[in-house]
Amino acid sequence: MSILRIEDLRVHFPIKGGIFGRTVDHVKAVDGVSLEIEKGTTYGLVGESGSGKTTTGRAVVGLNHMTTGKVFFEDKQIMNFGKRKSGLHKDVQMIFQDPYSSLNGRKRVLDIIAEPLRNFERLSKAEERKRVQELLELVGLSPESILKYPHQFSGGQRQRIGIARAIALKPKLIIADEPVSALDVSVQAQVLNFLQDIQKELDLTLLFISHDLGVIRHMCERIGIMYKGRFVEEGTTDDIFHNPQHIYTKRLVAAIPDIDPKQRDASFDIRQEVEVEWNEAYNKYFDEHGLAYQLQPISDTHLVALPERG
Amino acid sequence: MWKFTIRRMLIVIPQIILLSVLVFVLAKMMPGDALTGQLDPDASQESIDNIREKLGWNDPWYQQYGNWVVDLSKGDLGQSFTYKMPVTELIGQRLKNTVWLSLFSVILIYVISVPLGIISGRYNDSILDHAITGYTYLGFATPLFIFALVMLWVFGYHFGWFPTSGSVAPGMEPGSLEYVMSRFKHLLLPSISLALIGVVGTVQYLRSEIIDTKQKDFITTARAKGASESRVYNRHILRNSLLPIAAFFGYEVVNLISGTIFVEMIYGYPGMGQLFLEVIQLRDYSVVTSLVLLYGIAAVVGTLLSDITLSIVDPRIRIK
Amino acid sequence: MAKEVVETTEQNEDSNISPSGLRVFWIEILRDKLALGSLIFFVLVTLTVFIGSALLDLDEITKIDPLSRFLPPSSEHILGTDTGGREIFGQLIYGTRNSLVIGILVTAMSGTIGVLVGLVSGYFGGHTDNVLMRVLDFFLILPFLMIVIIFVSLVPKYTITSFSLIMTAFLWMGIARLVRSKALQERELDYVNASKTLGTSNITIMFSHVFPNITSIIIVNMTLSLASNIGIESGLSFLGFGFPESTPSLGTLLSYATNPTTLEKRWWVWAPAAILILLLMLSVRNVGEALKRAADAQQRRGT
Repeated sequence: MSILRIEDLRVHFPIKGGIFGRTVDHVKAVDGVSLEIEKGTTYGLVGESGSGKTTTGRAVVGLNHMTTGKVFFEDKQIMNFGKRKSGLHKDVQMIFQDPYSSLNGRKRVLDIIAEPLRNFERLSKAEERKRVQELLELVGLSPESILKYPHQFSGGQRQRIGIARAIALKPKLIIADEPVSALDVSVQAQVLNFLQDIQKELDLTLLFISHDLGVIRHMCERIGIMYKGRFVEEGTTDDIFHNPQHIYTKRLVAAIPDIDPKQRDASFDIRQEVEVEWNEAYNKYFDEHGLAYQLQPISDTHLVALPERG
Repeated sequence: MWKFTIRRMLIVIPQIILLSVLVFVLAKMMPGDALTGQLDPDASQESIDNIREKLGWNDPWYQQYGNWVVDLSKGDLGQSFTYKMPVTELIGQRLKNTVWLSLFSVILIYVISVPLGIISGRYNDSILDHAITGYTYLGFATPLFIFALVMLWVFGYHFGWFPTSGSVAPGMEPGSLEYVMSRFKHLLLPSISLALIGVVGTVQYLRSEIIDTKQKDFITTARAKGASESRVYNRHILRNSLLPIAAFFGYEVVNLISGTIFVEMIYGYPGMGQLFLEVIQLRDYSVVTSLVLLYGIAAVVGTLLSDITLSIVDPRIRIK
Repeated sequence: MAKEVVETTEQNEDSNISPSGLRVFWIEILRDKLALGSLIFFVLVTLTVFIGSALLDLDEITKIDPLSRFLPPSSEHILGTDTGGREIFGQLIYGTRNSLVIGILVTAMSGTIGVLVGLVSGYFGGHTDNVLMRVLDFFLILPFLMIVIIFVSLVPKYTITSFSLIMTAFLWMGIARLVRSKALQERELDYVNASKTLGTSNITIMFSHVFPNITSIIIVNMTLSLASNIGIESGLSFLGFGFPESTPSLGTLLSYATNPTTLEKRWWVWAPAAILILLLMLSVRNVGEALKRAADAQQRRGT
């Protein structure tokens, strides 16, 4: 059973112009995205900046208005995420990219992590404190730090506070929007491994949004690649990394640096080849507006955006 | 640019309409009406009612408002019952006086503030700059009316250098040189008072603007290319900082409005502000509303002009 | 799972400062001798006039004594007497108290309205913002002084309360604009988005999340408006459209100076009030400027 299903999601932002500020055009940030996530798995959404991956995630939790499309959570359509009655806040949570702006600098750690608890559970002060301390311990921070303020922590620690806040209500799905991009590389692996631990412990499903293919490969079972608001390719990690079909995916995969120096020449050759193909076959893969075509299945798990044949 | 200008001008229409409605409502709220004091006290209630009917005061309010607006557009502001003359006539001379006062003050503001601002910005942290900054600091905290009182006390009464009230000495032949000189003398102290307090904002703005620009990369580049110091200032820094100041013209006029009311009262200068204070005490409401409308329109137009010139001078403003 | 208890990384020396901002303000005032002196002066004046007006008998002060009109300062009348033979000193005490009360009241009320309008406008943005800002623009083009004077002369039973309400009605726009622009910035930050996804209501986000992040600029702005409101009140009273008659205020004392003879020859009637207004406004401003410096520095550091 899929836990989250998105059908033909579109998020268009109006461009205002003219004397009366009428809408003259739209920026199609997300333009017809469909995907499905299985319970307990991690789905990776990849793309360059401006490809619409973050907007997709934000639209699911209601931070961006959906222009059209449907989102189903556990086979029930999400109509209005914003309403507290929907209870969706308990099941779907978000981890934000910037560990600095995502924590309110005027609040103590206790208040930050207890915010969801206060919204949905009626706990006594002592119970609340205990829960927050448990959560802090779970994310690897000292339970004594509940009375500290965010600026007293490092970026990685702040991101852990953000994660503790997101898992406080024991959600089923977490949308992680570039959760490690703002962190030092040395801290990235730490936070990622710890995310995986938590996922196992709480049986979480993750929608993992990132521009970093290396991170995605490390984390995800299934991957969707976005370009200019559309999917260009979708498949299992294996499909994407070992059998990329779309030229855009090929370019991305070829660009991953290889640590093994002996492979250097080989990977350089591959990059050259892909570059040549990109220049020659660009029109084959993109329509006249430079956008991707509809996804076509090429195997049970693997879909590629190719022009319809015939 | 045209887009901003037209859009900005369109905003003026609802502003003026709202203003006129407000003034109209205020006029209706005021006790008594223009008939008070105009009629023979012995007139019967019946004849009063007749006149009311004839003047259309029993019509629904929107019709009255419509009539009022039509009259306004014809330049008919009604009758002043205390002065027993049309409001337009009454305001005419006062308007001229106030316009002279404002104009003269704005010129003084520019004449004083631009050099002060430039000196303060160019030689920042010098003794001169500290003196100027100290002056603007004090000026910001000093209410205009106290300053004007002290000026009148010192230069009007104590030293007797300036006349202490009126707009011209009595018995002068209009048009003669003496007459003009006398008017000028009467104008001087009020407008100096207005200007000395009015400059502080502009001086501070100019100073910080110049200091800001001084540190920008394009100035360093100009210096690096060997441009002389005076060229750097005249061609690069001042051009950037002075244009907005020129565009502030409209705002300056708007800012002067409440100032002129105080100053005209203190110096007994027969302008619109003094008239306003006079007629509101006499409850001559047709004059009161006309004055509010005039000042309001002046504020709307002044802000409009400055907004538009500023958008031409500084394109960043247009983004919005 | 590995329980690596991470210690707080060593921070710069101000890590123990609570980010409430109030301490930062206090430190800045202590550092700035001018601001500290001004604050002490303001507190002293406030205490003197409040205690003084509690001790002095208002009827005694406002009792007309035709035999002692316009007496210059002497040992008997510390600051001389006015046109009705009333003691200037007593009126100064009462007047200062009244002016301060109005100033603080108007600042608090207009501040509250301004913060509410600004928060709502900036936080919700869009159409709400558009409508509120057009209303605000309209208030801004009104000729403030004239409109206030008209309302003052229109209100049938004119009291101190109606005076402060009228002033408030036309003085909330500045702070509303400021708060709006700050709220517009804040609402784009992820902590607001986080609160939304955590199911926190808009009202709670506005008042208990966004508001604490902009308190420092609100405090600065309100301090500076207190200075200007004291000036506005005295100006209106000076013109005769401020405090109801027979209620002494700094402005009413100054209005005696509209009489040329009083202005020219009897300086003791109006000069003390003028000096006191200047000193009060200047001292409040000094404190406000110090607070502003602290708030700016705090913003630069990003705490």
